[in-house]
Amino acid sequence: MSKPRVAIFDFACCEGCQLQIVNLEEEILDLIGAVDMVKWREAMSESSEDYDIAIIEGSITRPEDEDRIRSIRSRAKVLIAIGACATMGGLNKLKNNFDMDDVRQCVYGDAGRMEHLDTAPTKAVDEVVKVDYKVHGCPMNPEEFTYVVRCLLMGKTPHIPDYPVCVECKMKENVCRWEYGEICLGPITRAGCGAKCPSASFRCFGCRGYVDDPNMTAAKDVMDKYGLSVDMLKSKLVLFGSKQGPSYE
Amino acid sequence: MSKRITINPITRLEGHGKIEIFLDDAGDVERAFLQIPELRGFETFCLGRPAEEMARITPRICGVCPTAHHIASTKCLDDLWHVDPPPTAKKLRELVYSAFMCEDHFLHFYFLGGPDFVVGPTAPATERNILGVIAKVGLDIAGQVIAMRRKCRELIETMAGKVIHPVFGLPGGVSKGITEEQRLEFLKTAETAVEFAQFSLNLFNDVVLKNDDYVKLILDDAYAHRTNYMGLVDENNKVNFYDGHVRVVGPDGDEFARFAPRDYTDHFAEHVEPWSYVTFPYLKSKGWKGFVDGPDSGVVRAAPLARCNVADGMATPLAQAAYEKMYETLGGKPAHATLAFHWARLVEALYAAERMKELLEDPEITGTDIRTEPTRTPDEGIGIVEAPRGTLVHHYFTDDNGVLTKVNLIVATNFNAAPIAMSVEKAAKGMIKGGKVNDGLLNMVEMAFRAYDPCHACATHSLPGQMPLVARVYDSTGKTIKELRR
Repeated sequence: MSKPRVAIFDFACCEGCQLQIVNLEEEILDLIGAVDMVKWREAMSESSEDYDIAIIEGSITRPEDEDRIRSIRSRAKVLIAIGACATMGGLNKLKNNFDMDDVRQCVYGDAGRMEHLDTAPTKAVDEVVKVDYKVHGCPMNPEEFTYVVRCLLMGKTPHIPDYPVCVECKMKENVCRWEYGEICLGPITRAGCGAKCPSASFRCFGCRGYVDDPNMTAAKDVMDKYGLSVDMLKSKLVLFGSKQGPSYE
Repeated sequence: MSKRITINPITRLEGHGKIEIFLDDAGDVERAFLQIPELRGFETFCLGRPAEEMARITPRICGVCPTAHHIASTKCLDDLWHVDPPPTAKKLRELVYSAFMCEDHFLHFYFLGGPDFVVGPTAPATERNILGVIAKVGLDIAGQVIAMRRKCRELIETMAGKVIHPVFGLPGGVSKGITEEQRLEFLKTAETAVEFAQFSLNLFNDVVLKNDDYVKLILDDAYAHRTNYMGLVDENNKVNFYDGHVRVVGPDGDEFARFAPRDYTDHFAEHVEPWSYVTFPYLKSKGWKGFVDGPDSGVVRAAPLARCNVADGMATPLAQAAYEKMYETLGGKPAHATLAFHWARLVEALYAAERMKELLEDPEITGTDIRTEPTRTPDEGIGIVEAPRGTLVHHYFTDDNGVLTKVNLIVATNFNAAPIAMSVEKAAKGMIKGGKVNDGLLNMVEMAFRAYDPCHACATHSLPGQMPLVARVYDSTGKTIKELRR
């Protein structure tokens, strides 16, 4: 059996997720041994070949990027979105709170009118094309990434946690951030990160997005206990909860 | 009519960064410049947000140096709320920052810039990558590089939550301290880092300095610019990454200015070119004289060698010895050789490792007083750190509620944008004569460009290790007459 052909493409982002892959180091050699890396770059001729697995980093912010991601989708059997920018638009979605002309003007001044500086509201990858698997987080969790790739190579369906960060945080035996008077997003955010931020004594700010079915009743009970309202919780859903759009399907 | 050559490096972000070279009627280089889309609208979408979020938002500008943005932002927030963190908090921040500098400098030396020297500047491009470095130095050493970087990252993750996009910095302090057990474990990491930095300097000595051709290349005038330099220094005018005053020296090495971060706007202004996305900071009192070097130019370089040039030395003994040796070979201070940035990077990695050790041997590091709660009304804050690539400035204005009303970020690559353009132009002038484009152009341009470790294009694209470059030469009618590709 020939090795699966894997390609990585990046769109608008900080490239921290790709650095997470680089930082796998020893493991990356195993990974490279198991697959045929056909592309690990932007801007090469993605129209020239097909791949079994396309890995997408970053969000879609320009009209031509939509054409590009559609072209990649049409040539890939499986498409994986990695990191918050790709899975839900990430921090880039904050831009959507502003008028696009104002964004250009603010960054580039009068030169912002130049055609090549065109910018559009940010979209997550699944707002444009179908996404088969998501590796959540900002940046993505590298262990989760290798787990997903490993599952695909073995023909298994990866299991992505669909319970809140609180579950993992409890297992770390952390004192609840709410006890410190902080509005922590743990109760409604998807686990899988190992509760890294609360473990570093900092509240969760939701970089893995919502769990599929957040238990709002339980969240309300927690908030009542600490004398806080759902509106206050929503006010904290700003960095990664901003303008989360409808998905492709 | 002029000819136009476009070199497209692989770019981050939205994919339109490129080097453009214009030829005059005689076919010689008239102008060369670099275009980079640096920001994704961060200045806009920060407005109206609570200032304390900046320590989480700004690291996401760049996944390669998030720690630099996180710490610059945290310091800016201290200043904004007029709060002085307790000594333990400052030391914990500096410890994380030193581990980051060490890790990042090793990443650059071995994976990015190093291949040019370790494998050799004239080696085939297919060998000038991390695999070529492994073949040259051996698998054992490659394993050490990997292990060393991993240990530094473990330290950062334990203390700061995440290596990429840390969360521990708060206005007035940090979120978490370290235990005695952790201190002892990190001390081992620091000791290994000191040894490894010394080993790396020895490797540089054996492979590069013992080869006359390499030394000639470093000292070659084609890679030199007599510019001003800037960097943070401590109270003894020694290199400092985390804190201190900004010192600027002229091309002759004399102190031109020394000021507190708060006063940076008195000394710097930003020039805007119609063809570029980036602003070009310059020394206000010298003025913007264009893309030129020399004593009258306002262009300033910020990078490892710039920091060494502005300082009187290094604050730790082993790094100081390495510093002295470097200037002995380079023919005194300041050194203008762009390719010596790589050497200065190793001297700095040794300092960062020694500083980690010092901080971990300080009894205060395990203190529990790690935060001073801000109580005053915020208004304006400025935070400056030395990022691996050079000076990084965060400047915020807020209303009384701490909601951002104005944000200015000057990243190291802003300061270096003009020098990078100058270096590229100089390299291009040497390789393009009378309309003839030497095939070595890409190599030379790439080496000049990569010495700055610019915070775009190359860093996370390090596998398989070479920066793909495309140069197109157009004739006056816009037809492609030559294409160089790698």
